[in-house]
Amino acid sequence: MSSIKMFEKPVGMRDTLPKIFDKTEQLRQQTREFLRVRGYDFIKTPSVEYYDTVGKASAIQDALLFKLFDNQGNTLVLRPEMTTPIVRVASSKLLKEQTPLRLGYFSNVFRAQEVEGGRPAEFEQMGIELIGDETVYADAEVVATVIELLQALHVQDFKVTIGHAGILQCVLSDYTESAIEANALRNLLVKRNYVGFEEAVASFDLPKAKSDALMQFIGEATNIEKIKDIEKYVRKNEALQYMQKLDELLADAGLADYIDFDFTLSSHMNYYTGMLFEVFASGSGFALGNGGRYDGLLTEFGVTTGATGFGLRVDRLLEVLPLPTVATERVLVQFNEATFTKALQLANELREQGVSATLHNADVPVNEANYSRVIHVTKGAIGNE
Amino acid sequence: MSELTIAMPKGRIFEEAYQMLIEAGFNLPAEVEMSRKLMIEIPEENIRFILAKPMDVPTYVEHGVADIGIAGKDVLLEQEREVHELLDLKISACYLASAGLPNTVMDEIAPRIATKYPHIATKYYKGIGEQVEIIELNGSIELAPMIGLADRIVDIVSTGRTLKENGLVEYEHIADISSRLIANPVSYRMKSARILDLAKRLKQTIEGGVQ
Repeated sequence: MSSIKMFEKPVGMRDTLPKIFDKTEQLRQQTREFLRVRGYDFIKTPSVEYYDTVGKASAIQDALLFKLFDNQGNTLVLRPEMTTPIVRVASSKLLKEQTPLRLGYFSNVFRAQEVEGGRPAEFEQMGIELIGDETVYADAEVVATVIELLQALHVQDFKVTIGHAGILQCVLSDYTESAIEANALRNLLVKRNYVGFEEAVASFDLPKAKSDALMQFIGEATNIEKIKDIEKYVRKNEALQYMQKLDELLADAGLADYIDFDFTLSSHMNYYTGMLFEVFASGSGFALGNGGRYDGLLTEFGVTTGATGFGLRVDRLLEVLPLPTVATERVLVQFNEATFTKALQLANELREQGVSATLHNADVPVNEANYSRVIHVTKGAIGNE
Repeated sequence: MSELTIAMPKGRIFEEAYQMLIEAGFNLPAEVEMSRKLMIEIPEENIRFILAKPMDVPTYVEHGVADIGIAGKDVLLEQEREVHELLDLKISACYLASAGLPNTVMDEIAPRIATKYPHIATKYYKGIGEQVEIIELNGSIELAPMIGLADRIVDIVSTGRTLKENGLVEYEHIADISSRLIANPVSYRMKSARILDLAKRLKQTIEGGVQ
């Protein structure tokens, strides 16, 4: 280990410099207003939570958690995502006051440090949670909200890919001979290893009708434009009807163009038992975010009700957003000992008009190129430069 | 039609895979100038090849600077990157195995394994209930048991000739290896039509070739 140099930050940590801060702030305000008019209230939770509660319940794998100890010897985690802390607050307090809950957040979250670049250990996430509504309308609202938000932010080219854990489970258990086989296939899909899936199907020694159906399913189910195309693989069941209804609702909202279905979509967490989705946009090599129904997580906190939501990574959103073009006016008001009062008065007048005015002592060197206008306040009239 | 960037390993696998693409009906020049260029543009198909070290292909694809790529299963197992594994190209087939001096057992207290694949070796021995110490080497792995650096090696075996010539024998078969077509998760969605078409045509070529 080489010694730490004075300029270094811990691995995976990043500074937010003024330009990015401005862009993020703009995004935050726009998003906040967009969600406010849709009835979402914003909340904040602590950066540190107990490992035994939020840490264990979180969908983020153990190895990715940033852990510390408190002075009682309890293990703490820096919050790895916001859904679990929000469920903690909702189940213990907010749901008793109001239901359904519509909550939004903008928060920094933490992941264990990694050696390779491009994987920040702290980054900002934004999202919504809709808790206390078990119907398909809640899921439709969440998917429509993420699409309309990305439209409102002028993200050029994006896609939402939707799947359903129940439908996948139904296909896998119908066409295999044991739960072990179904589980093995599901795990390969979590890793998106389609080659492994085909190899596993071949190795199971299944009746030909079943293995053929699985092979055809894996070839087709990753990219389904019309929900009808999946119907032949699935017994008529609630999950299928649910997805047909969701498809219909999103088509009614005029959002069909942004949606693809992928019924191989699967999460490593088993409490995601319903609809789930991922959000992709050109311009970032990684997914923007994901979402879905997580009723099972509420059960872990002792509440039986429906919950659905999405989370987007703000750092990746910033990558795909066009740069803001608005150049704001910044005025430098220079004074000397004799003109301070006059300069202060002028600066305050400008500030009241909403112009950024910096009061500056002319004796101190300054880089005037950073300002759009420089005013030298002299004894007589005000000189403009 | 958006441009498709394909990360390819330099050398023999590039040539084989390139030939496969031609057989699959892609309009590529029969000869490519393989001098020291790291990027080859094919305007006819709106494809760009980037030529990388085989170990680095999944890195380019995971970060999304290449949409798809061709990578050995050994590299995929070692790095476990977040990429979609779409197709087994069935080229450069070989396997991963453990090997050592004949009629030897591993050290009781601290069995040592020399390998280019520390992650695969750790996982494999963990899986069979054996705690081992890993020594990472970059090449000529066969030397390690010969001069007493390690009890076993974990390495790629294609014909077994290198092992034999160095007086080593194979102990355990770990995994079958071949080249795979991989895709970046975002490209897989945003350029799905192009990527699925390419995968489908390659699959037909492979199945046609095998029969």
